[in-house]
Amino acid sequence: MKTILSMCVALLLPLQATVAQAEDAYTPKVYGKKGYVWDEMTPERVEVLKMTGDPVKGKEAFRGCRGCHKADAAGVREGVYPRLSGQHASVLIKQITEIRAGIRLNPKMLPFVEDPAIAVDEIADIAAYLNSVESLRENGKGPDDMSARGKKLYTDNKCFTCHGKNGEGDAAKAFPVLAAQHYGYLMREMKLIETGARGNSHPDMVKAIAKFSQSDREAVSDYLSRLPDYRTLNAVPATK
Amino acid sequence: MKYKNKYIRNFNGLLMSAMAALVGMLFVSASIHAESMPASGAAATPETPAAVAATPETAPVAPAPEASAAPAPEVAAAPSGPQPLEERLQLCAGCHNPDGNSVIPENPKLAGLNVKYLNRQLKDFKSGDRTSPIMSSIIPMVDESEFKALAQYFSEQKRSDGATDKPDLAAQGKQIFDEGIIGSAVPACSGCHNEDGSGTDKYPRLNGQNSVYVVNQLTNFKSGERKNDPKAVMQTVAKRMTEQEIAAVAEYVTTLKEAQQ
Repeated sequence: MKTILSMCVALLLPLQATVAQAEDAYTPKVYGKKGYVWDEMTPERVEVLKMTGDPVKGKEAFRGCRGCHKADAAGVREGVYPRLSGQHASVLIKQITEIRAGIRLNPKMLPFVEDPAIAVDEIADIAAYLNSVESLRENGKGPDDMSARGKKLYTDNKCFTCHGKNGEGDAAKAFPVLAAQHYGYLMREMKLIETGARGNSHPDMVKAIAKFSQSDREAVSDYLSRLPDYRTLNAVPATK
Repeated sequence: MKYKNKYIRNFNGLLMSAMAALVGMLFVSASIHAESMPASGAAATPETPAAVAATPETAPVAPAPEASAAPAPEVAAAPSGPQPLEERLQLCAGCHNPDGNSVIPENPKLAGLNVKYLNRQLKDFKSGDRTSPIMSSIIPMVDESEFKALAQYFSEQKRSDGATDKPDLAAQGKQIFDEGIIGSAVPACSGCHNEDGSGTDKYPRLNGQNSVYVVNQLTNFKSGERKNDPKAVMQTVAKRMTEQEIAAVAEYVTTLKEAQQ
């Protein structure tokens, strides 16, 4: 009997430690506070970035994602699930690997993207596929056209420094495409960036959002949602 | 807390299973004591030796005073070596119908399931990764070398259509199947299983499947009783669904017809 009791204690001790780590993983990561990491070249991310993704394999691997992000990667108009088509592969790889590493907090998506739901090489394939795929459905826009004010805010606050003049982001620096994203998704992510619930927000983004009122956010989100897919802007096919 | 902590839930699960293991250990040690006592007293009930012989796992552990009688029923229950496909199919047909379109609501239709999927399920039943009261007792009789031909046979049969007498419930199920449930982050079933439920080698065919069977499987995925889904994805999805949503989606699946090629 004593042996069984001591085995019980021995079993519980390591589990206690696991819980402490787990709680930490879902505590909002607030800019300037302990545990905040906005960008990390994890070994997995480095490994995936070296791979050449295969869009054909990626299309099949993406099957497990289609239940939410839809077959054409258009996501959901209301913005609950983002539009992923045309996003830079580098951005998708950053976000997927950082969700897997617990740097970006996304408990709803985690079970579908963590190992073994998606294998390491499938991350590269999915990223290549999404970068090339075309969404057939229109994205969600704001309730009213506030794009004139939104454009001014976007310009005055120099958002283009990272996200580009046409909302095309920056593949080399892994800054996301925002053009033609769902209005609802942009609004939600700004809220998550503000509270730290997103986890891996760029410090400059946290600062920029702090200055924005609710109506400023609405105007900028609306402006970005009305921008055309950046890939349609030039006849030259977009590079990744 | 905004986010349900999955690790906490895992922890609870671990704790429960650790406790269950402890209880199990206590039970086993108690039963060993209990068994050894009547044996020494030489007053064992007549059922005890037979019960021990029937469960192969316990047979070598438990002291079997009448061990010489034990091998006989085991040989009778499991025919030695692989059987020809036609003979073996008779065993399957009893529950799944000769063409694999089971008419017993609890039993799945096997007709038209992907050959790789069928093969994997047979292997999982054999290894114990998937369990079922009936299949787990049948599968020891079937040799692993027979799986390929059995899977091939059933995959080539035409799946029969199903019908519902609960069209309203099926309509609710269609919404879930096609669009998922946004509020509880349930992905659309069609994402993996295709809009017509035709499935792939990883995700099984669902169209026309018996709804009672589908309800039972989703319920088992939800409770974790079934966990041979390759990436635990189905368990995650089922855990996010209510009993009512499971019933609805199962009802819809029955009515699905494969899209014309």
